[in-house]
Amino acid sequence: MQLFVDGIFLGSIYALFAIGFTLVFGILDRLNLAHAAVFSAGALVGIEVVTRWGLSIWLAIPIVFALGALLGVLIERIAFRPLAGRHDAHFAGLISSIAFGAIILSVLQALYGADTRRFPADAFPSTRLEFLGATFSLLQLMILVISVGLMVVLTWVVAKSKLGRGMRTIAENPHAAAVLGLNVGRISSMTFAISSALGAVAGVLFTLNVNAANLGIGHAVELKALAVIILGGLGSLPGALIGGLILGLAEVYAVNTVGSSWRDMVAFGLLFLVLIIRPQGIFGARKVREV
Amino acid sequence: MFEYSSLLTFIALTAILAFSFYAVLIAGQLSLAQVGLASLAAFTSSLVVPNEPLFGFIPPLLIGVVFGMAVGVIAAFVLGLPVMRLRGVFLAIATLAFGEMVRIFLINQSWTNGAQGLSFPKLVGIETAWIALALVAFWFWRLSGSRMGRAFAAIREDELAATTMGIDVPRYRMASFVIAGAVAGLYGVLFAHFTRFADPNQFSFEAAVDGLVTAVVGGTTFFVGPLLGSVFLSTLPELQRTLGIDAGWIRPAISGLLLLVVILFLPGGLAGLIPRRRSSTKLVSDPAALPQLEPLPARGTEVMSLRGLGKSYGGVRAVHDVDLTLATGEILGLIGPNGAGKTTLVNMVTGVTAPTGGSGTVLGIELAAKTRAHRLASAGIARTFQQIKLFNRLSALDNVLVGGYRISRDTLLRRLVFLPSARRFERQAAAVASAQLIRVGLGDKATTAAGDLSYGDQRRLEIARALASHPTLLVLDEPAAGMNHVEAERLSELIRSLAADGVAVLIIEHNVRMMLALCDRITVLNFGEVIAAGTPEEIARDPRVLEAYLGADGDAAAATAAEELAEVAADAVKGHDDAAGTEDAR
Repeated sequence: MQLFVDGIFLGSIYALFAIGFTLVFGILDRLNLAHAAVFSAGALVGIEVVTRWGLSIWLAIPIVFALGALLGVLIERIAFRPLAGRHDAHFAGLISSIAFGAIILSVLQALYGADTRRFPADAFPSTRLEFLGATFSLLQLMILVISVGLMVVLTWVVAKSKLGRGMRTIAENPHAAAVLGLNVGRISSMTFAISSALGAVAGVLFTLNVNAANLGIGHAVELKALAVIILGGLGSLPGALIGGLILGLAEVYAVNTVGSSWRDMVAFGLLFLVLIIRPQGIFGARKVREV
Repeated sequence: MFEYSSLLTFIALTAILAFSFYAVLIAGQLSLAQVGLASLAAFTSSLVVPNEPLFGFIPPLLIGVVFGMAVGVIAAFVLGLPVMRLRGVFLAIATLAFGEMVRIFLINQSWTNGAQGLSFPKLVGIETAWIALALVAFWFWRLSGSRMGRAFAAIREDELAATTMGIDVPRYRMASFVIAGAVAGLYGVLFAHFTRFADPNQFSFEAAVDGLVTAVVGGTTFFVGPLLGSVFLSTLPELQRTLGIDAGWIRPAISGLLLLVVILFLPGGLAGLIPRRRSSTKLVSDPAALPQLEPLPARGTEVMSLRGLGKSYGGVRAVHDVDLTLATGEILGLIGPNGAGKTTLVNMVTGVTAPTGGSGTVLGIELAAKTRAHRLASAGIARTFQQIKLFNRLSALDNVLVGGYRISRDTLLRRLVFLPSARRFERQAAAVASAQLIRVGLGDKATTAAGDLSYGDQRRLEIARALASHPTLLVLDEPAAGMNHVEAERLSELIRSLAADGVAVLIIEHNVRMMLALCDRITVLNFGEVIAAGTPEEIARDPRVLEAYLGADGDAAAATAAEELAEVAADAVKGHDDAAGTEDAR
C-alpha cells in the first residue's frame, strides 16, 4: 500500500509538469523546450522569495505564477512568433526555445549561482498524514489535489471557454483562425503564459517535495514529462494526469523489484512501447491526415 | 599550439556528429538516436580494438572504426524497423527514448565499467579526425547531386508527392537512418579514442540536442553546413575565454543569444550565407542529350480496368461500384459536382487510397489494400494533385528532375569515384526534365523555387513533373483550375498531343466546356456512383447529368458547369439542326 501511495504521489508531480507542457505541445502543436528552464526559474525564484524576502510560501506561489506567465509571454513573443509561417517552424521552434531556455538559465546562474539551494525547513508545514496504513505528507496530498484540480479546470477551459475554442482553432489552422477574426497572437501568448505559469509553480512544488533545487532540475523532469504526455495521449489533459500516475506507479514498483539503477528504463521503455504500439497514446484520438 | 590542435580535433569530431544529424535532416526526418548509436559503437569497439596492428599492418583504429560503423548501421536498421512508421516529433521522441535506453543499459553493464567510465587508448589525433571528416563531407557532397540526394530532398518537401513519383519512401527513409547510424558509429569510436575516456552518461539527451543544434545552426541545405556549425559553436567558448568574458554565466548567455539570432534571422543556417547558384542543375536544351526512352505500349492497349471499385469511410460510401476502362491514346474525362468522389477514385487508381470494395487492375498491378503508390508509379502512372503538391523549396527544374526518377538511374556510387558515366546520366536526366519544362512553357523559370511561382505556373510545373516520368497513364486532377480560357486551350492542346503520342489520359476537370471538347469519353459521378458514361455528345444531352449539377445546391462550380452543359447541349442540338438545314453550322 505504501508503494502504491508513493507511486501516486510521484506520478502527480510528473503530471503537474506535464499538464502545463502538453497545453502548448498538444494543443498548439509546438514543442517548447524552454519549459524546463521555466520550471527551474520557478523553483529558484520561489526559494529567493521565501528566504530573502521572508514571505510565506502561500504568497510566493502567486508571485512565481505571475513570473512564469511573464516568461511564457516572452517565450512566445521571442522564440516562437517570429517563426510563424516558416516552413521549418517545427525544427526552428525547437532550437529557438532551447536557446531561450539557455538564456533563462544563464540569467538564473548570474542571480543565484550554480549551487543547489533549498527552502527553509519550516517553509511548508511538515504534517504527516496516514491513510490505510501508508504515510505521506500534507504537501504530497496538496500536489495531488492541485494536479487533479488543474486537469479538471483546464479541460473545461480548453473544451468550453472562448479561449479554449480559440486555441483549438489556431491549432487546426492559424490562417483560418485569423480570417475568422481571432487574435492569433494574443491567444498563443495566453496559452504560453498559462503553460509557463503552471510550469513555474510545478517547479516550486517539486522543490518543496525533494527539498533541493539547482539549474538542472527542469531537464531531469522534462524527459519524464515527454513520456507522460505521449503515454496519456498528445493534447489530452486527463491523459497527462493518468499518464503521470501510471509512470509514477511503474517507477516505484520497478525500483522495488529490479533496483533503482534501472528506474529510468521504465519511463523510456514505456514511452518507446507506446509510440510503437499506440502512437496516439491512451487517451489521444488519432488524427486523420487529408490528402 | 597544443591547445589549438585539440580544439581543431574537437571541431572535426563535432562536425562528424553534426553530419549524422544532417544525414536524416536532409530527408526531413528528425532523429535523436545518433548519440545513443555512437555510444553503442564506442563501447562495443572497446571489445574488439586490438593493442597491436592486426596481421602486423591493419591499424587498430581502422578495425574499431569499421566495427563501430557496422554497429551503428545494424543498430540503426533494427531501431528503424519499428520506428519508421512514426513521423515528425513522434519520431524524434521515440529515437530520444531509444538513446536514453541505450545509456541506461550501458550504465548497468559491467563490461562498460558503468558510470565510472572506461579508458580507451589514444589513437585519434588532429590528422585522423580531419581525414575522417573530409571523407564524410565528401560522401555528402557527392550525394547532394545524385538521384538519391534528390529523392531525399523530395521526401523532405512532400512525402506523398515523392511516393507518386515512384520513390519508395520507407526505403529511402530507412537509408537516411542507416547512413546516419554509420556516421554516428564513426563519431562514437573516434570520440572515445580521442578523449581516451568515456562514460555512458556523456552520450545523453543534452549531447543529442547539441548535435542537432550544431547541424541546424550550420544549415541543412548545403553539405558544408555541419562544419560551419561546428566551427561556430566550438570556437565560441574559446573566443570568449580569449577575450576574457568567461564569468560562469556570461558564456551560456552569449551562446544562447547567438543561437537565437542565427535561428531567427538565418533560416538556411550559416551555410545560407554562402552565395550559391539557386539551382544545382542547369537547363539542358540540347536535343542530342536526350536518352532513348522505352516506347509506350501500342495504341489501344488497355491500361486500366476497374470492376465494381468502391471506397467507404465508416458508413459513408465515397465511391461505390465503379466500372471503368481506359486504353492508351485515349482521353477519359471524369466530371461531377463537388464531393462526387472523383478525387477519391483517382486516389484509388494511383494507389494513394486503398479500395474497400470491388477490384481493379492498373498497368498490370492489382489494386489492393497493400498496393503502394510508388509501385504503380514505377509501372508508369503519373499524376498531378487537385491541391498542388510541389517540392516548394526546390527549383522548378529540380522538381521536374525528381519527376524523372523512374526513368533515370542512381548515380551516387558512380559520382563517388567520378566515373564519366555519372555525368552522362545526370545530363540525360537534366535533358528530359528540361524538355518537359520547356514544353509547358516554363523554360525561363527553371531556377525559380517552385513555391515562388504563380498559381498557373505551379499547375503547369506539376504537369511537367508528371510528364518527366515518361508515363503510360497520366492522371490530371483539375489541371485547368485557375487558368484563363487561353491557358486552358493551350493545356487542351498539350493533352491532345500526349494522347496522340499514345499516352492514356484520365482527367478530372470542372471546366465542362473544355472537357466536352477534349475528351474521347466522359464518365459522370454523383454521390460516388456513375450516373452516366459515354461520348461528350451523349453526356451533353443526358438529362441526368444536368440534373446532378443543378441538384448540387450552393455549389458555384456546379452551377457554372450546369450552365455550360445547357449551352453546349443547345449548341449541339442547334448544330445538328443547322447541319441538316444549311451548310453554315455556326
